[in-house]
Amino acid sequence: MNPLTARLLLEATIKIALLFFVNLTAVAYMTLVERRVCAWIQDRSGPNRVGPFGLLQPLADGIKFIFKEAITPPQAHKALYLLAPVIIFVPAMAAFSVIPIGPPLMILGRAVPLQIADVDSGLLVILGLSSLGVYGIALAGWSSNNKYSLMGGLRSSAQLISYELAMGFAVVGVLMSAGSLRLNDVVERQMQHGWNILWQFPGFLVFLTAAFAETNRLPFDLPEAESELVAGYHTEYSGMRFSMFYMAEYLNMITASALVTTLYFGGYHVPGLAALDLNPTLAALIQVGAFLAKVAFFLFVYVWVRWTLPRFRYDQLMNLGWKVLLPIAVAHVLWVAFIILMGWA
Amino acid sequence: MTLLSGLVIVVMAVALLRALMPSRPILSAVAGGPAAIVLLALYWRDLLGMDFWAGAVGFVAILSALLVVLHPNPMVSVLFLILNLLCVALFYIMLHAHLLAALQVIVYAGAIMVLFVFVIMLLNLKSEEGLRLGRGRQRWPAHLLGVGFAGILFWVLRHRTDQAFADSPRWLEGFGTARDMGTLLFTDFVFATEIASVLLVAAMVGAVILAKRRLD
Amino acid sequence: MMRVDYFLVMAALLFSIGCVGVLVRRNIIVVLMSIELMLNAVNLTFVAFSHELRSMTGHVFALFVITVAACEAAVGLAIVLALFRRRQTTDVDDVSLLRW
Repeated sequence: MNPLTARLLLEATIKIALLFFVNLTAVAYMTLVERRVCAWIQDRSGPNRVGPFGLLQPLADGIKFIFKEAITPPQAHKALYLLAPVIIFVPAMAAFSVIPIGPPLMILGRAVPLQIADVDSGLLVILGLSSLGVYGIALAGWSSNNKYSLMGGLRSSAQLISYELAMGFAVVGVLMSAGSLRLNDVVERQMQHGWNILWQFPGFLVFLTAAFAETNRLPFDLPEAESELVAGYHTEYSGMRFSMFYMAEYLNMITASALVTTLYFGGYHVPGLAALDLNPTLAALIQVGAFLAKVAFFLFVYVWVRWTLPRFRYDQLMNLGWKVLLPIAVAHVLWVAFIILMGWA
Repeated sequence: MTLLSGLVIVVMAVALLRALMPSRPILSAVAGGPAAIVLLALYWRDLLGMDFWAGAVGFVAILSALLVVLHPNPMVSVLFLILNLLCVALFYIMLHAHLLAALQVIVYAGAIMVLFVFVIMLLNLKSEEGLRLGRGRQRWPAHLLGVGFAGILFWVLRHRTDQAFADSPRWLEGFGTARDMGTLLFTDFVFATEIASVLLVAAMVGAVILAKRRLD
Repeated sequence: MMRVDYFLVMAALLFSIGCVGVLVRRNIIVVLMSIELMLNAVNLTFVAFSHELRSMTGHVFALFVITVAACEAAVGLAIVLALFRRRQTTDVDDVSLLRW
């Protein structure tokens, strides 16, 4: 094995290990952030007893989950029942591998891209992985042998594929402006010509709404509505298996926030940093920090919207997806095409 | 003895042991696990070449296709078909058809199969008890026809000369990308593209009408 | 050394497995799935030859095959739903009113 291949494998392994570690820690602390922000919105303080400012609360929750008894429903199809959380979890984690976190860093004589997989069709990889995540929910609903789970699974799958279309069209607008499917090209175009949010605002709204629906978050969380369907598709899951669903939902949120920043808010771009003419490594680290700050902002928006807006009814949800978002998304594609043709982009 | 053939033999031996002695599931794992690890340690260089991965993906594709047809539970059949579609998408990547691989995953495995899953969930289809493939007179002629068909297809391929898998980068520049596909679709095949859109609208309207409860 | 023949052989095997599935299974959904298997095998043949002949026409055809497969699956499943509502069965042998 020549040394370059060995070095590439080592870099990839380190990046993947970092991705796992950072993502899972972020997921754990998102539970705490959710509860604290929810409490502030509701004019009370959230968990602040366990550790300073409640920072050890996720650890306590994790230990609680591990010790809970995992009850399996009697007539459930065992193989599918155990496979469903895995199918939700894997695409949520894998979709993060094509998102660039920062500009290439010079480490030990080689420009290391801060992205696990720099494929030529990064946008399509993301769309494909989110399409595959639908199966986890459908299978969880089906294999639990429970009519509430089945209804929840059906509703959720229908919701997910309906909003995938609108999301795809919004992504087409970004694709047209960047001229390439690589996420690095999308970021570089925004670095040179201004962030996409400035002239693709309808597309951004459509994408954000679709991202809320894709991650099953309020106001679109009817499939797991606590007051209506017991708990929807994850009714029959308990203990560590339920925590897999919970973690997968937060992972999806993190990936969706990272996508929104990459596609519409310039990814790791900090306007005006190039003029300061800093040491390249320092500039790269500042840009990574900017990316993380933007992702954190969108995660806050997710939590904020959840505890502010009421839940959509199912027919209102499908109405919104097909009769409102899809026409807006198609009109947005026409709008972007017009601007590019006129040369104003 | 390459790594691929060794691993295939190990997998088949494990399956055979599981089938013959269902009361001792750990025995097959104890037999197969160390054998697989020894094979991987001895022949790890094979993992770096393309041949092993092409063969492994092909093995999984054929196995999942067989299980689609043979398994009594329709939901499990759908899952194996999804696995098969993902294997074929990997084949497309090996053939430098990157856009088609992505479209296969997004459209075929990600949307069309969801339709199948919906219908199975709506109709609440359970496992078929006592699955006997085919009924009565049609069974053996069908199997013979399948084998005969495969035989004909192999016989057609017998005169092909040994075409090496050309990997020269010059003509591969941009082959299979979205840009090239889009150019072809809107210049040479624009009529077919427009007809395909009409077909899709017709299929959508047809599906909605056919699945309505009452035509009022 | 990998050859294009390998993919053609794979496609032939997948096609025959799908063919046997269509003829032998009684559940309509599995029959539709076997049809999808056959369409998939045809796509693989198209893409393999497209690689050998260095032309992207095969890819365009495969895209249209995927489109037609989507339409056919949608309409076929709608028919299955309508049939199930009337006859309460998904067995192909039970929907034989027109048999002579």
